Amino acid sequence: MTTTKPPETSYGIGETKQLTGRVASLLGQIPTWVLWFFVVVWTIPTLGLFINSFRTRDAQRNSGWWMFWQDGANGYGSLTLDNYSDVLGTSATGGLANGLLNSMAIAVVATILPIAIAAFAAYAFAWIDFKGRDTLFIATVALLAVPSQVALIPLLQMYAGGAHLTLPLIDKTITVFPDLGLAGTIPAVWLTHTGFALPFAIFLLHNYISGLPRDLFESARIDGADHFTIFRKLVLPLSIPVLAAFTIFQFLWTWNDYLIALTMIGGNRQALPATVVIASLAGEFGRLEHLLTAGAFVITVVPLVVFFALQRFFVRGITAGSVKG
Amino acid sequence: MKRLRNVVMLLLAFALLAAACSSSDDGGEATDTTATTAAPTTTAATETTTPPDTGGDTTTTAGEVDLTGRSVTVFGPESSDEEAGAIQDALNVLAADTGLRIIYTGARDFSDQINAQAAGGNPPDIAIFPQPGKLADFARQEFILPLPDDVTATVNDQWPEAFVAFGNVDGAQYGVPNKADIKSLVWYDKPSFDAAGYTVPTTLDELWALTAQIRDDGGTPWCIGIESGPATGWTFTDWVEDIMLRVEGPDFYDQWVSNEIKFSDDRVKAIWNTILDEWNIPGNVFAAGGSIAATPFGDNGQPLVDGDCVLHRQASFYSAFLPEGTVTGPEGIDVFFFPGDTADNKPVLGGGTLAASFKDAPEVWVVMDFFATAEYAEIRQAAQTERKDGSLSGFLSANTQQDLSVYQPIEQSFITLLTEASVLRFDGSDLMPAAVGAGSFWTEGTSAVNGDKSVDDATAAIDASWP
Repeated sequence: MTTTKPPETSYGIGETKQLTGRVASLLGQIPTWVLWFFVVVWTIPTLGLFINSFRTRDAQRNSGWWMFWQDGANGYGSLTLDNYSDVLGTSATGGLANGLLNSMAIAVVATILPIAIAAFAAYAFAWIDFKGRDTLFIATVALLAVPSQVALIPLLQMYAGGAHLTLPLIDKTITVFPDLGLAGTIPAVWLTHTGFALPFAIFLLHNYISGLPRDLFESARIDGADHFTIFRKLVLPLSIPVLAAFTIFQFLWTWNDYLIALTMIGGNRQALPATVVIASLAGEFGRLEHLLTAGAFVITVVPLVVFFALQRFFVRGITAGSVKG
Repeated sequence: MKRLRNVVMLLLAFALLAAACSSSDDGGEATDTTATTAAPTTTAATETTTPPDTGGDTTTTAGEVDLTGRSVTVFGPESSDEEAGAIQDALNVLAADTGLRIIYTGARDFSDQINAQAAGGNPPDIAIFPQPGKLADFARQEFILPLPDDVTATVNDQWPEAFVAFGNVDGAQYGVPNKADIKSLVWYDKPSFDAAGYTVPTTLDELWALTAQIRDDGGTPWCIGIESGPATGWTFTDWVEDIMLRVEGPDFYDQWVSNEIKFSDDRVKAIWNTILDEWNIPGNVFAAGGSIAATPFGDNGQPLVDGDCVLHRQASFYSAFLPEGTVTGPEGIDVFFFPGDTADNKPVLGGGTLAASFKDAPEVWVVMDFFATAEYAEIRQAAQTERKDGSLSGFLSANTQQDLSVYQPIEQSFITLLTEASVLRFDGSDLMPAAVGAGSFWTEGTSAVNGDKSVDDATAAIDASWP
């Protein structure tokens, strides 16, 4: 990988098209019923969960979901919306409604922050020549290999008390990160998600942005555009598909995240997201596990809305080999 | 592209709204629980009246200090709306009296969480520990603080000595008992039990004889299931502890808990064999999930009600797992005491939770003191019963000064057993180091129940895992 070599994707379109065509024709030979078979098999567990979410605790504990039409006859109580009202109902513990608001507050910002930073970074890595660019890029992408779990406790310590470095010999302490009292707050989750999302975001956006045709940038440069103008007027509009694709990924990831929010927020009930609230619904000995079915469906609704709203971009983001400006 | 921008703007607006809501929520609760007096002026005053040192000699009573507007966070393992809600209800009463703002947060994986929060420097003000072993670990690492004298006095005054001792680490009192469980119970359906002509056994030998009798009559004596997700096997450990307390006595039990007597000791292995022999007799056990290790412990309520089995040994909180609408007490599902080796010997295996403080501040000690009182137990019991629509609450307190009328008759009998027990021991696996008590004891026990390992191999493996 050298800095002078032009990005490969812009020249390999023909081959890619051929390959795509062959794969498509192979896939086209699969009978529809086979696809339907997989769709059905893959959907069955979700269907079971959905049906169970309308069944009473006794029914869920004592018979399979496919027996739901016999619940009344078996004396377990007929289908009911009680699970949903229990899950969503107002309660002394704040309940799921508060959790959903917190999830939204976490997921939206934790999606926008890394995209904003990564888009700039990816543009710089792709189209600005500076010393050590490749090394820096490789180092950034290599951070993908760092598992977030190992860094959680040190990060929490940093949020709770700041990070201080005492220089040896001269015995001077410098504050690397001030004590902002972030532990137990939603911004701590934002920062953590942003940090761990950046390597992948930069990698993904760089691959796409570096594939934009060089001619475009050269003519813009000749017309007198500076980097910011190019970024704003050319790169951003052209990158909408990949930005949308990453938005979906990141939103789903932060929305469904349990571990990071649990660690960073901990015992602050008013800031806990829906995933953590749902996990606690079951109670100390799991007596109320039957509520998890309804909770799971409530929490699924928002990601589904996001996915279908951005689905058009999602498909394009994955398949687009866009050359035209 | 314009549409995308609209979507993003909408989401962003929603996020800001949500953030605003959750912060105004804080404000809302503060005004709920506090009087409208201004807090800032009182803060300076309290700082001068409280001695800054920790330890046993501080005397900070609520009367002297105006605590209005201060907040206390409490973190514990009880997380369902019924349990956590009842705790919060009780704390709200104290909050209304003192002007404090007290928030309880429950987490199902409390044990992992409290480690992370303590290590990360973000502990709650008060944590409610379900395991005295964990509390002792935290005390020795100096995460939690010993109680001041006045709180210790309340605890000593209102709780049986045995329960107070669970919160004592190396001679200093750290824990305030919060909740009590009794584990030495056998659940059974009294009407059909009586109709079949059986009598409640008073000794362990009689219990095994009853087991054989039921089997000979064509019934299934026991419902047993030890599956409990990652904690699978804890039911088996309770059996071992209960029978050890009966056969070998409390001194032996204490030595075993502290590892002076090994698991591979012949007497310990004999207890394992007694249990496994009974469990493995064909026709002795009804396991709804196919095998004992594959049956969730919570699933034994329905077969007990249906008459698929006659007996089920489980703790007092099991009342919550009985199917909805089950009648409890003499007219329905009742309990008898898991008998001792003689009729007079009634050692009790108990459990419960203990509150401990991470922060030395007058408002924290006020809450800790409250946890020890009868008032807390009564309010919580009433609230929890109400939240369960009048069925058994699953909560018990062994506080000696509480008004027992808030409990139902069957719950009162549990409390009598707890407070009058001559020998009371805490669940041993909760006292052992986590690697054993919440690890190998469960897993190796499950292997032995499954027949995957011999008792010799399983007990040797537990000894090897002792840290």
